[in-house]
Amino acid sequence: MTKVKNRIRRLRFDHDEMTQQELANRAGCTRQTIIALEQGKYVPSIELAFRIAKAFGVTLEEVFQYEEST
Amino acid sequence: MAPLQKRALYGLAFGVVWAIAIIVVFIVKGGVSTFTEDQGFRIVIDVLWVGGLIFYGILMLTLRKQSQVDERDRLILGRAPVVQLWAVIFSMVIWTIVLTESYWDQGIPPIFMYLVFMSTIIVSAVAQSIGILIGYWRMGRND
Repeated sequence: MTKVKNRIRRLRFDHDEMTQQELANRAGCTRQTIIALEQGKYVPSIELAFRIAKAFGVTLEEVFQYEEST
Repeated sequence: MAPLQKRALYGLAFGVVWAIAIIVVFIVKGGVSTFTEDQGFRIVIDVLWVGGLIFYGILMLTLRKQSQVDERDRLILGRAPVVQLWAVIFSMVIWTIVLTESYWDQGIPPIFMYLVFMSTIIVSAVAQSIGILIGYWRMGRND
């Protein structure tokens, strides 16, 4: 079983409490998708993952982590 | 609630009201025999059906303009036709069994071709909305 974790909530906090809507606008998705990502209910496409990382000005690995559990 | 989810909810609500209205008018006005003989009755049903279809189309287009649809919505939208397909197959099976059993001896009246087609269009429209709502529900459960 694999899991893709993310630090979106933490990164929003670090970026002056960036709102979910603001991040959604920057990443080109809906606020509901950001909510689903933060709750770990959705794994984004590579393209959206890169856009989110770019919105924060960080690398992909700083936002998303791949965790493998047995 | 995502814009597409809202759209599906409105679509489902309208679809159910639309289907119930047609069924109620059909039964109250006299059913299949009156439908075959009375042209005025057929026109009433035609207006309800085509009018509903046009209204449904306008509703979907209007809401689509307001919607921002992203990759997650498109993923859910892409899976909705599975529900649509099963709903149409199921309605066809029901029609086939009911008509075959009811008209085995005398043959199925041609008027039923119209009713089967009309109901399939309505089932398809309603099932698409249900498919979208199921998609959001399943994603919310993190399946």
